Amino acid sequence: MNKLHRYFLKRLFYSIFVLIGLSIVIFVIARVVPGDPARMALGPRAPQFAVDALREEMHLNNNLPTQYFYWVKGVATGDLGKSLVTKRNVTEDIKEFLPATLELVALSAVFVIMFSILFGALAARHKDKWIDSLIRVMAYTGVAMPSFVLAVLFLLFFGYIWPVIPVLGRLSAGLYAPPTFTGLYTIDSLLVGDLEVFWDALKHLLLPALALAVGPLFQEARIVRSSMTDNMTKDYLASAVAFGMPDRVVMGKYLLKPSMIPAVSVMGLDIAAMMGNAFLVEVIFNWPGISRFGMEAMLHKDLNAISAVIVVFGLIFVLVNILVDLIVAYLDPRIRLGGGV
Amino acid sequence: MDAKIQRTEIIVPSPAARLKEGFRKNWYKFSRNKLSIAGLVIVLSIIVVAILAPYVAPYPKHAGKFVDYVNANQGPSAAHFFGTDNFGRDVLSRIIFAFRGALLMGIMVLAIAVPVGVFFGLLAGYYQGSFLDTFIMRITDIFLSVPPLLLALAIAAVLEPNLTNAMIAVTVMWWPWYTRLVYGMATSLKNEYFVTSAELVGAGRFHILFREILPNCLSPIFTKMALDVGWVILIGASLSFVGLGEQPPTPALGQMVSDGTRYMPDLWWMTVYPSLAIAVIILGFNMLGDGIRDMMSKGEHDRG
Amino acid sequence: MENYLKRYRGLTLIGLLAISLVLVLAGCGGGGEQDKAPGADGGGERIIRISEANVPNIDPGVGSDYSDSIALANIYDTLVFPNHDGTTGPLLAKDWEASDDGLVWTFNLRDDVKFHNGDELTAEDVVFSVERMLALGEGYSYLFTDVLKEVKALDTYQVQFTLEKPFGPFLSTLVRMCVLNKDQVMENIQDGPYGDMGDYGKEWLITNDAGSGPYMVEELKKQEYLRGVKFEDYWGGWDEDAPEAFEILGTTSPSTIRTLMTRKELEITDQWQTKEALAALNDLPGVEINGAFTGTILNIMFNTKKAPTDDIHFRRALSYVFDYATVAEQLFPGSRKARGPISESLPGFNEDLQPLERNLEKAKEELAKSKYADKLDEYSVEAMWMTEVPDEEKVALLLQANAEELGINVDVVKVPWLSYVDQVAAMETTPHAGLVFVSPHYNEAGSILEPRYHSRSTGTWEQGEWLQDPDIDAAIDDAIGTIDTEERLAKYAAIQEQIIELAPTIWSFDQAEERAYQASYIHWPAAEKIKNGEPATAVMGYMYYFREFKVYPDKK
Repeated sequence: MNKLHRYFLKRLFYSIFVLIGLSIVIFVIARVVPGDPARMALGPRAPQFAVDALREEMHLNNNLPTQYFYWVKGVATGDLGKSLVTKRNVTEDIKEFLPATLELVALSAVFVIMFSILFGALAARHKDKWIDSLIRVMAYTGVAMPSFVLAVLFLLFFGYIWPVIPVLGRLSAGLYAPPTFTGLYTIDSLLVGDLEVFWDALKHLLLPALALAVGPLFQEARIVRSSMTDNMTKDYLASAVAFGMPDRVVMGKYLLKPSMIPAVSVMGLDIAAMMGNAFLVEVIFNWPGISRFGMEAMLHKDLNAISAVIVVFGLIFVLVNILVDLIVAYLDPRIRLGGGV
Repeated sequence: MDAKIQRTEIIVPSPAARLKEGFRKNWYKFSRNKLSIAGLVIVLSIIVVAILAPYVAPYPKHAGKFVDYVNANQGPSAAHFFGTDNFGRDVLSRIIFAFRGALLMGIMVLAIAVPVGVFFGLLAGYYQGSFLDTFIMRITDIFLSVPPLLLALAIAAVLEPNLTNAMIAVTVMWWPWYTRLVYGMATSLKNEYFVTSAELVGAGRFHILFREILPNCLSPIFTKMALDVGWVILIGASLSFVGLGEQPPTPALGQMVSDGTRYMPDLWWMTVYPSLAIAVIILGFNMLGDGIRDMMSKGEHDRG
Repeated sequence: MENYLKRYRGLTLIGLLAISLVLVLAGCGGGGEQDKAPGADGGGERIIRISEANVPNIDPGVGSDYSDSIALANIYDTLVFPNHDGTTGPLLAKDWEASDDGLVWTFNLRDDVKFHNGDELTAEDVVFSVERMLALGEGYSYLFTDVLKEVKALDTYQVQFTLEKPFGPFLSTLVRMCVLNKDQVMENIQDGPYGDMGDYGKEWLITNDAGSGPYMVEELKKQEYLRGVKFEDYWGGWDEDAPEAFEILGTTSPSTIRTLMTRKELEITDQWQTKEALAALNDLPGVEINGAFTGTILNIMFNTKKAPTDDIHFRRALSYVFDYATVAEQLFPGSRKARGPISESLPGFNEDLQPLERNLEKAKEELAKSKYADKLDEYSVEAMWMTEVPDEEKVALLLQANAEELGINVDVVKVPWLSYVDQVAAMETTPHAGLVFVSPHYNEAGSILEPRYHSRSTGTWEQGEWLQDPDIDAAIDDAIGTIDTEERLAKYAAIQEQIIELAPTIWSFDQAEERAYQASYIHWPAAEKIKNGEPATAVMGYMYYFREFKVYPDKK
């Protein structure tokens, strides 16, 4: 086992620890709120015997640590409790709503990667020229626009003034969701070869994904730009050229790749920002994802649903960060070869 | 005595002193980028306008308990530059008053989160490897393992919706970033010569943490704070957008945008102007923050 | 070194890729919309889509709000049916008779009714449905809990109800008793808190139906929509232009509604659109507004057990200072001033009552009599309005501004509907003032008086007052226990005066329930009747009995 493997095992171990800690924090937050969850679930007129039975079923008569134990046991077996809003098991809700959010965040991530490299490299290439200044101004504005503001402005513009792109929901009326394999409409529709649904789903994704992507995109672009301009002055680049390597190899392997390291390292944070902002953007675009569900749950103090959503996001976030570390390790030979961890 | 001499040799004087010493140099570094100056101007004007709101706003009453349904839903005009909302209140006046909450949010959150975060970071960093270190840093990890806005939303949602609780929610999610920042610096600083010397001569732990290590962390802390104000305001606006901030009739920028979306596109001014106000205040703080970062950075780092 | 970058072709490639992706998406966007011109797809379907505050709960034992009531009326059958003229006619029951004391009711059922799965509907199913509703204790069960003593099947097609005490409006409340398929529900029960009955099929009935109504559930997507399709074998038969499907969309977001109406992808809007939004919708070609007085009043409910609203003079002061004219004329044009707790359009309304008016002098007089008069700064009144109903905020802020004139401090708080329901469950957490629209559940004043002011209904969202007045309780019990209709209505009238005297509520206005609809291609019987000045049913949900609608897709 080399150093890298050990590093990732350690990382994984910490992540599990962090998730357990997170679950305790969430559980405590959810349980200190006043009110009887069983009574809330059944309504004010439900007969007392049914409420008592439900209390027993939910282990509410036990002390807090025991309740936590049962809750974790439930989480491990996929039983996250009943939602107050949808009146069914939260696991069902998550299964139904999570894919829509993943699809959204995934497309945003694609936008972020593509455009940040494009803008970053463009700015570096034309350093201190008008393109560089233009991109810098765009970056300032883009970063200062919260995604919910962008979303609202998109809605105003593309919803009413220039309605060329659909602004609400996942599919146009009259089209029905493709059979569920992944829950991602774009992928599912391609799997069954339904191009009409594919294009429609993609169009519906465009604006919300863009609203999420703009902030992180420009931040990344600035990082790409500055690390590229830094690396351009490095000696190894000159040596590579001196050895007669083709331009493409020089640029790809010796300039772009190392320049990506700092950008990729903050990618984890960007994904976090996007997942958080998805909460507002989904509400604005009427996007039936887990964030909108979570938002609804928060406004209704639907504690089981809040806990579940936070745990799911924590899990995704931890996984994304491990993935980001892997990519950085791949890009950075010092880490990959076990030197600088 | 030995320790004192070492100390003056190695560390740079405190940032305050440095500011005074090299004011002109700092100003040069800061003003080299015109955007920083623009940021400073924007931020200063917003602060002045917010403080003088009752005198500057054309209709100060409209930021409070006021309805005038006869003059509701009017577009921008000479009487109401940004129009009136569906309650007949002047949008411009409400934006001006909303700046107060936004600024208060930015200041209060950092004023609490930074000392708390820094304190824990120093403690964990200095006692690196101890139980205290593990305990603090793992808790930090837990808080950093959830998207920040999500955690703030969850906390604010469980509490009663108002500005104070929104600030509490944002503070709770903000301190760990400073803990992590200071932790990294403290772990390396504690092995520096001046710290070990101070330990040798028997300086108290309090002295070492706050007189030896802390002053050397201040520059990055201030830089991060300058860059963070805009983010805090952004998160605050996001909370108020979903109704978890200042409650009506007291205006808040996010709340105004969210109210306005109900009347799009016909009453567009109810949405567009508060949106722009949010962008401008964040833009101002971001540009100012970048300027301060350039000023604080020792080398001639390229501004990215 | 910068020249290396200039020669870097990969960069150009990425740029082209990114730009073309956006262009393709945008281009297809434009093209796609044109494809979707009228009649392209979905345009040919005879469908009614209506928006509501939430996707309905379609479990007849659980659902009771507006959205639920619309869904239940279309998916399930009931023993009797509320006619447009206010009478109650036969549906599953061919005929019925009541004993002279009004305690025993016997219903003869039709023998040709099939459930959606083909099973035959019998008296057993009726008995099961009643028992299930009472056991769950949710939804509309409160209409029956204290009334019903026993229900039994006398024969395959005969069912008998025995009442605990005489209950005048019993027949009209039966429109809230949906009949479920017993066998089908029992096949789908899971573990749950109801003993032998497990969860009473609650889990399964969230997304499935066990009904015999004109429409069957095809799909229920939480947070999105309920889609029901025509039940071909419906015993009542079908008109050829009747809708083949209906959808209830769970959103009132004005931008969504506006877009859908513009694209003719929504036929009827919800009633929570603001005045401004309705005005804009009215400008769309082919769209009209239907305004119907359905007996709904916006109540500002005072918690009469919490200081300072526990003081009758304090409450009266607020009632007098409130600007009723602004609400009825400026905020909700088309509505009218309320004349007490009961809407003019509800049978049993007291014709002697006059519209409420603002009177600053009297308000000051009353406040002076209040025990809180000289310590107003120590108290503030918390007024809650519902997130889902933005128009309520206008009324709340008006109350706030009006109260300010008396020196009374009102804090306006926005709260989601379900949280409000949770808060009014206990007296301590019930706000000083709650702004709640209340509609009648059956077509009589008693259907408002009992849930609004009887002690039995404290702790429900319909009574934020915690009035607990023994005289009122007795009077209401007496009235609804009266079998003779005329006598009963007279008793209702007297109660209204008693209640007004206590000033537990500001009845801010008598609402015209306004919805925009696609008048050019749908025929909506209730809207037509209202337009012609004829009575239309005011029973919640039944204006949207889609079987009697007609859709003409070619007129889109």
